[in-house]
Amino acid sequence: MAPNPRKRKVVTRDAPSASESEEELADGLLDGILSHSEGESDVDQEEDAESDTSSVIEGLSDEDEEDAEDEQASSDTDPEDGEAGIREQMRKLKTRDAPTRLNGVDHALELDSRPAENGLEEQEEGRNYTVTTDANGNPRYLYKEIDPVYDSDDSDAEATNTIGNIPLSYYDEYPHIGYDINGKKIMRPAKGEALDALLDQIDIPKGWTGLTDPATGKPLNLSEEELDVLKRLTRNEVVEDGYDPYPDMVYYFSGKQEVMPLSAAPEPKRRFVPSKHEAKRVMKIVKAIREGRIQPYKPPSEEEEEEERVYYDVWADEKPRPENSMHIAAPKLPPPGYDASYHPPKEYLPDKNEEAAWLEADEEDREKDFLPKNYEALRKVPGYERFVKERFERSLDLYLAPRVRRNKLNIDPESLLPKLPNPDDLKPFPTTCAAIFRGQEGRVRSVSFDPNGIFVASGGDDGYVRIWELLTGRQVWNVKLSSEDAVDAVKWMPTKDASVLTAAAGESVYLIVPYSILSPDVEQASRAILDAGWGYAAAKPSTTTNGVTKEPPGKWARPGTKLESKGVLVQATVRSAIKIINWHRKGDYFATVSPRGQSSAVAIHTLSKHLTQLPFRRLKGIAQTAQFHPSKAIFFVATRNTIRSYDLAKQELVKILQPGAKWISSIDVHPGGDNIIVGTYDKRLLWHDLDLSTKPYKTLRFHQEAIRAVRFHQGGLPLFADASDDGSLQIFHGKVVGDLMENATIVPLKVLKGHKVKSRLGVMDVDWHPREPWCVSAGADGTCRLWN
Amino acid sequence: MARIQKKGKAGAAKNYITRTRAVKKLQISLPDFRRLCIFKGIYPREPRKKKTVSKGSTAATTFYYTKDIQYLLHEPLLAKFREHKAVAKKIARALGRGESGDAARLERNLVPKIKLDHIIKERYPTFVDALRDLDDALSMLFLFANLPSSEHVPAKTIALCQKLCHEFEHYVIVSHSLRRSFLSIKGIYYQATIQGQDVLWLVPYRFVQRTGGDIDFRIMGTFVEFYTTLLGFVNYRLYTSVGLVYPPKFNANMDAQGAELSAFQIEGKSVSTNGERLHGEVSAAATSEAQEVADRIANVPDAEEDQPENLPVAQDDEEENTETIDKFEAVAPDADVLPQPEASSAEAASLFAPYTFYLARETPRAPLEFILKAFGCKRVGWDATLGEGAFTTNESDPFITHQIIDRTPLPADAAEAIDGGGAAPRVQWPRSTMPGRIYVQPQWVWDCINQGKLLRPDLYGPGAELPPHLSPWMKPKKGEYDPKLPLHEQELEGEAEAFEEDDESASEMEVTDDVEDARDAMERESSVEAGEGMHVASSDDEEDEDDDGGDQRPAVEDEWEGFDSDAESDISEGEAARLQHQRELEAEATGNPLEPEVETARSKNAVVRKKVEKKRKEQAEERERQKMMLSNKKRKLLKRIEYGSNKRDAEAENLRRKKRRLDRTSSNKGAV
Repeated sequence: MAPNPRKRKVVTRDAPSASESEEELADGLLDGILSHSEGESDVDQEEDAESDTSSVIEGLSDEDEEDAEDEQASSDTDPEDGEAGIREQMRKLKTRDAPTRLNGVDHALELDSRPAENGLEEQEEGRNYTVTTDANGNPRYLYKEIDPVYDSDDSDAEATNTIGNIPLSYYDEYPHIGYDINGKKIMRPAKGEALDALLDQIDIPKGWTGLTDPATGKPLNLSEEELDVLKRLTRNEVVEDGYDPYPDMVYYFSGKQEVMPLSAAPEPKRRFVPSKHEAKRVMKIVKAIREGRIQPYKPPSEEEEEEERVYYDVWADEKPRPENSMHIAAPKLPPPGYDASYHPPKEYLPDKNEEAAWLEADEEDREKDFLPKNYEALRKVPGYERFVKERFERSLDLYLAPRVRRNKLNIDPESLLPKLPNPDDLKPFPTTCAAIFRGQEGRVRSVSFDPNGIFVASGGDDGYVRIWELLTGRQVWNVKLSSEDAVDAVKWMPTKDASVLTAAAGESVYLIVPYSILSPDVEQASRAILDAGWGYAAAKPSTTTNGVTKEPPGKWARPGTKLESKGVLVQATVRSAIKIINWHRKGDYFATVSPRGQSSAVAIHTLSKHLTQLPFRRLKGIAQTAQFHPSKAIFFVATRNTIRSYDLAKQELVKILQPGAKWISSIDVHPGGDNIIVGTYDKRLLWHDLDLSTKPYKTLRFHQEAIRAVRFHQGGLPLFADASDDGSLQIFHGKVVGDLMENATIVPLKVLKGHKVKSRLGVMDVDWHPREPWCVSAGADGTCRLWN
Repeated sequence: MARIQKKGKAGAAKNYITRTRAVKKLQISLPDFRRLCIFKGIYPREPRKKKTVSKGSTAATTFYYTKDIQYLLHEPLLAKFREHKAVAKKIARALGRGESGDAARLERNLVPKIKLDHIIKERYPTFVDALRDLDDALSMLFLFANLPSSEHVPAKTIALCQKLCHEFEHYVIVSHSLRRSFLSIKGIYYQATIQGQDVLWLVPYRFVQRTGGDIDFRIMGTFVEFYTTLLGFVNYRLYTSVGLVYPPKFNANMDAQGAELSAFQIEGKSVSTNGERLHGEVSAAATSEAQEVADRIANVPDAEEDQPENLPVAQDDEEENTETIDKFEAVAPDADVLPQPEASSAEAASLFAPYTFYLARETPRAPLEFILKAFGCKRVGWDATLGEGAFTTNESDPFITHQIIDRTPLPADAAEAIDGGGAAPRVQWPRSTMPGRIYVQPQWVWDCINQGKLLRPDLYGPGAELPPHLSPWMKPKKGEYDPKLPLHEQELEGEAEAFEEDDESASEMEVTDDVEDARDAMERESSVEAGEGMHVASSDDEEDEDDDGGDQRPAVEDEWEGFDSDAESDISEGEAARLQHQRELEAEATGNPLEPEVETARSKNAVVRKKVEKKRKEQAEERERQKMMLSNKKRKLLKRIEYGSNKRDAEAENLRRKKRRLDRTSSNKGAV
């Protein structure tokens, strides 16, 4: 049996004890209502059972003594109820425990424990369990087997097989064929040879069927009557004997005249006298007919029916109604055009191709639903065979087609197009390749114009730094900086009075004065600038090293006599390979970026002091490039997907730009300082307006491949260029106006193609001439090209 | 706190209802629902958010506006429909029992009569609203008036349609409100302006209509039922507004004899209008003799009155300071056209007023009679075979001023042979003509009314090749081809030259060593040098029409063209002019025709074309550059706009090309 019903039962059986407690409470306090509560029916008490129980439990802690007595009494009242008894026992145990747990009132304990013990003793004889001690010394209750006391007598239930509705064949292998209600096996009756022998001796008993009763496994015997019933059933006869399916009908209401009438009242007079009322009505009709008010029926003629349509002025009191905003009037059909004429101008007639196309097209696809045709005279015009069909289609449209209000575009397309400056106004910009500088082996990685615009320096994979004369395209100077490292960056110092070229190969930056091509005084000035720092460098270490020998971020040294003889005067080495060099406008500082350098990725070098500093202790992300602000003490550092600007004076972060690019390749700051262009490896060129937002102002996607370099023209022309791996440069007009209200104008100007793509690399770098609209590009094909 | 909104309980999901649900809600059958929708003018809607409305299902469904359906719930017609359904059941039962008499009685007495008066008032709260919606009604009713009766279209309906249409036509005649008409291949379009509303309808030519295919006449019948009610009320209102009695008297006998319009007798409400109106009508019934006399009397003062106004196609009204609005015509083609009110009904009433028309038996009588009468003509006669009601059936009636014919004249000798008979009393087209009578083809009438003046009848004479019949509703739009304007005014710069170059190889080489021609080319040459476009200079004169003939000269042209690069031509222009002049002088001295001249004429073509091409290319480049700077959204918008305009341009160019080719062939023919 499931535990649930039992539990529920317990709760309901609680009722009497609860009522007891109620009684108890009433005794103490509510004397007046006692009789009333007693008078209530059991049902009511049961309804209250739960709440009462709870009150009892509450009461336990408060009035322990009384409660204990109450429990005792209740257990006395119904000892025969097993479960209830157990419950009572439990409760008593609990009540006994409660005061001990409370541990507050001593006498309460005494009062409580005593009656409980009494209760136990009293219960000894009637209880259905024995108390032993278990392993822990706690009392353990061993219950007797419960004797279910069934009220109903089920002795008449047959001892049948209890295996349920399963095939008997499951038991074929066993000696038994199932279990009776007591779980005892029902053995298989004798069968087979033993039985055969027996059968030989015995006659077939009466009612033997040869069938086995599946329920008992014994032979099924049928009585004579049962067999008879079966026989009749199979013959579709009435089973019961003597049943007449068609008995004679008994007429309840017969047509026979009874001798004695049910009512003896005489026939009333009105049955014999003609009705006056009827006469009156007839007279009325007669009168109406005589007067002609009623006329004999005549079917109305067709014409009369026709005349039924009566027209009047429906709009006699017309009031304009405001049009429902949701209502859309059916559009009118457009008036016919020239081509619908029976005799149109000849140019409207379709030629053979058009006619064939029209005839071939599906009816839905045709732009016109008719083919223009020419008839010389009106008498030759035939009927239009689709007339009814067109009318029908129109009526279908009227009631079946959803109507939608479509806004017709009535915009002058010219107004949409932006006002672009006249291409002539945008001139000059580079358009053609003017010179090709050949001679490098491998890729050219970097190019740079010298501040005077006479020379171009380039550095490439062959480890050479070369200087070319711009106008002639002649190589005027070169030096091999390194045999294993490529020259990744070359940059001229941006001052005009001195001419210093910086080149990065591997971890080193070389400061070069190519004296062979310089005039003597310039050379002198340049050397002076480079040499100024030596003394400082000698003095410096003693001041900076405070006890601990800390390795300086950069080592400044002389590169060796061989290089020095070529003009390479200073070598500054940092911790990892340098990819980018950018000068401060004054020419005293330059920044190098070595993307692999972790914390030493960005270094700022002071030329006058021969000093290298690492401005960032830790850099978020991998530094890609860094640049100085053209006028303020602001430093831009681009990591893979953000650009941060730092105020160098206050030493704080100013702004974080988020171009939304996946991998920034290069940036350049507009000479005005408020705009930045960003080239990315994901083929985008982004224009940032620093005053506007941290998001790009324009995103330009005109390249098929990654953009390697971007550069503004620094000499006052509103131009910028980008170099891409698809082998092309794109020149843009980018005009920035001082007015804050006006955004920058960006106009694509020219795509310069010429560089060949080698191993998926196209143009590696680009630089502008300091004054002229010329730019020079470094290609992966080993050439530099000058465009003007 | 606001209650949480459940999905599909408000907004679009509630505003729309599918057709199935609508039918269920109204508890009527689908055909009944259709009828109801047609009567009430309720149409499906296209929800803006179809997905929310259809609750995610993507099946194609028809949606109605829920409020429309709710409004249908209160429709009295619904009760009628239900009644009808009940009666239909009864009739079906009677028929099932074989009691056809009962069924007929039930049908006669119990079938509810549906009246649509309240719907007319409801759908068209004002009369002008009704007029606005009259286009479809008239087109449909005129079609049904011309249909043969069949099982779907009972004769009664057709008769009703005819009656209503004729009544309407009578109103248009009386009020002179017909403005334009157009002979299309589909039928005849008419446009009337009634109380400021333009009503355009289409009347089929009188042929048996093809009614096969998937045409559901039940739907059309429902529409006709509604439209007849509408037009009845509109006619009533129109008649009463001009002081006529509605309905006009209908003479069934005359109608049986094909009198059509004349079968109706229009009566004025007051005596004064009555007399005038009756005039035409009574005459129809009177004998032709008496009529003639009467009309002669009536005609004389009429003509006197009208002469100063109407005769003068030639006469100018410059001194006449009329109160009418002057017509403003734009000088430049790209200027905006400001709309001006149409010609007043008084002008329409007087167009044909002084004339007497006679319709030959091959002309369509009904439309001609209608149009002529609507434009003021009071005396329209026709051949007796065309039906009753003519002003005269006598072709030789001397009062006839215009005879409309659609047959070519007989050869001259045959006509003369009969003409030789002298004063034959019967003058019959095409055997003979009546002196002083104008014979025109029917198109003349249409072109006259569309242009609002009498046109030269000789262009429309018997057997003449008619000028093209143009739709009066087409307004010249910028960028579209306009057949009314000469070609050279419309074509783009350099287009003609390009065409000529293209066509050169195709066209035959025509060698003409006329001195005249050479001189022509010379003149052209000089004019080009003076800075004008060659085409403009030449195209005006008849003489110059064969300029391409001149251009066809075989030439050693190709090398010259190749040499003629952009930069080169600019530099050498002055030089070339000087050389040219010298050559001309030499030629004049020797008296020989210039040889290389023609070459230069051709090369000029090439130069013009190249220049234009270059310019166009530049423009296209510039446009591309501008487009690059557009945002994506705007670029798409621009693309959509340009799609339309490009299509229009292509169409116009196609037409111009065809026109140019036609001109070419005709001029070639003329030259030969």
